[in-house]
Amino acid sequence: MNQQIKIIIGLLVAVGILWVIYQIRGVLAPFGLAFVLAYVLAPVVDRMEGRGLERTWSILLVFVMAFTGLGFAAFKVGGKLTGEMVELSDGFMRREKIDKSFVIKNNGESPLVVENIAWEDVSKTQPFALLNIKDLPFEIESGGQTEVQIRFAPQSHQASENVLSVVYGQNESAHIYRLKVYGNRRNDAIDVGHRGESTGEMGALPVVFSHSGIGFGSAGPNIVTKVSTKASEFQPLFQDFLGSDFNLPALVKEHGERLTETMLGGTTVFLGGLVSGLTFVVIVPFVAFFYLKEGRRLTRTLIELVPNAHFELCLNLLHQINGQIGGYIRGQILATSVVSILAIGGLTLIEVEHALPLGLLAGLANMIPFLGPLIGFFAASITALATGGEFGVVGEIVVVFLIIQMIDNVVIQPTVVAKSVEMHPLVILFVVMVGSQLMGIVGMLIAVPLTGILKVSSQTVYEGVRGYRLE
Amino acid sequence: MPSDPFWSNIFRRRDKEEADIFDMLKKVPIFQDLGRREFNKIESILHRRNWNADEGIINEGDPGVGMYIIVAGEVRITQVGEDGVQQQLATLTGGDFFGEQALLDESPRTASAYANETCRIIGFFRPDLLELIESNPRLGLKIVMRLSQMISVRLRHTNRLLKEARMRVKQVGEENKRAGLGRRETEGEEAGAISS
Repeated sequence: MNQQIKIIIGLLVAVGILWVIYQIRGVLAPFGLAFVLAYVLAPVVDRMEGRGLERTWSILLVFVMAFTGLGFAAFKVGGKLTGEMVELSDGFMRREKIDKSFVIKNNGESPLVVENIAWEDVSKTQPFALLNIKDLPFEIESGGQTEVQIRFAPQSHQASENVLSVVYGQNESAHIYRLKVYGNRRNDAIDVGHRGESTGEMGALPVVFSHSGIGFGSAGPNIVTKVSTKASEFQPLFQDFLGSDFNLPALVKEHGERLTETMLGGTTVFLGGLVSGLTFVVIVPFVAFFYLKEGRRLTRTLIELVPNAHFELCLNLLHQINGQIGGYIRGQILATSVVSILAIGGLTLIEVEHALPLGLLAGLANMIPFLGPLIGFFAASITALATGGEFGVVGEIVVVFLIIQMIDNVVIQPTVVAKSVEMHPLVILFVVMVGSQLMGIVGMLIAVPLTGILKVSSQTVYEGVRGYRLE
Repeated sequence: MPSDPFWSNIFRRRDKEEADIFDMLKKVPIFQDLGRREFNKIESILHRRNWNADEGIINEGDPGVGMYIIVAGEVRITQVGEDGVQQQLATLTGGDFFGEQALLDESPRTASAYANETCRIIGFFRPDLLELIESNPRLGLKIVMRLSQMISVRLRHTNRLLKEARMRVKQVGEENKRAGLGRRETEGEEAGAISS
């Protein structure tokens, strides 16, 4: 066969495989995680086996130790971390207004007159508002119905409630129906209000109300809005030389919301699929166990499939790639842990709220060269500002991140990250953007290590093949 | 179902084959110190492959990855001579091995090996040996020790040949001088011997 045709077919097959991998990426997540876990634990298992312990027992022992440690860590900080992460992501993703409605239905023979719909608490800052009822009184004909829309748009996250009173009937036989509405109450994020129909008072008139009360769940200004409000303080500063068309708060709000949506929107979907069910607790250790136990046999079986002519080459490459990927993964995990711990410590020291998730994010983001430290810094600054910090705190955060960067560049990076994985900044930018497009912030974080693994592998293949005379 | 003729047959044949392979490996110098249990460990990192007649097993000049032990069949070792023509150096059969130097370094193969007929061959490769040294240093060391002894024996042999060759060159030179030709011979060097 012609060499070029071979190359084209090879490329097509590669594209096909990548496409399939992308299609089943949700299923691959636990396998990928198990893969990483296996690479991290492999040296320990090997060493124990070298001491004379059976491999199966070595793996089990290492697993027991690792999961006891993880369990202890989860017990100690897991709850706090999850709580803070939920709070933080809620702070970004929080809905600012929620619209709900109820229906008044006239089951009677004659038309029904709704005299008035009004709030019992009429204070100026009350967060509830009627959307579609403008002209009062109005009439509902026999058998007809009217939908009343209510908006909940609070200025704070405080719990609030009100009563909507609906006055209906003729002048001499007026009735009042009282509908309770509430929002931002604890534990009522999914409370949709009292369902079921309820008839008017004393059943005097055949009127049916679709709800007896409405719970709106939680809403309030999110972090983007808060930052945008903060930014409005600077508006006069820019207006002088950028003109009055330049609206900083509006820009911050618009782009901030879009950014949050792209980054966190995809993440929630991805994490939802990953964490769902028993994935973490059962599948990942199970798969990792078999990678560790059968890994050698697996590679041997793989090599057995290779034709004689290329068999030595493949054997050699497989071993080299294995070593390189192992080194790369272990290096990245070490670097991430060290930077995370430094960042958590530093942020705690300058009393930034949510130091735990922010430090962890900074550590993970650090895998992305150039952009990573900026992501960590901006996340910490925005959160600090939104949780009531003054602008001085941003300066402190700058100092913390500069120190961490210096330690990272002088001590950590040279020792753990191989020179061969260095990537061009443009390549990094590109893969990070592709990652964020596909899987949100998780995609951004795994894009660089994934590219690193691919680069290390292809480099090994390229250098390995050069020594051979392939026909 | 131990009495089932079909199954018992298959297992008996397999067992016999395994026993044969153990006996054969036991004769390979680098494995001769190993006990039965250690053989079982080694077994999991050996590669069993078949080659068809006239198929190349290793090519001169390629980076060496490991050694081959012939279980069954005949293999010819060839080398490209100074005149560019393939010369046959040796013919190896069951129990013989070749390429063991590649277990120590990645230097290019000094000769090619081709199957003369359908061959069953066991491969033992450097990456696996290195992994074995990491995971089971005691066992790894036994093999490496035997390997270095083998190489050292061969080096001693080569040194002796070199010494003889030097003496011969000197003799020839003196004979020539005595014959009045006065021509000086440059020192010849014995080409590296290929495994026996």
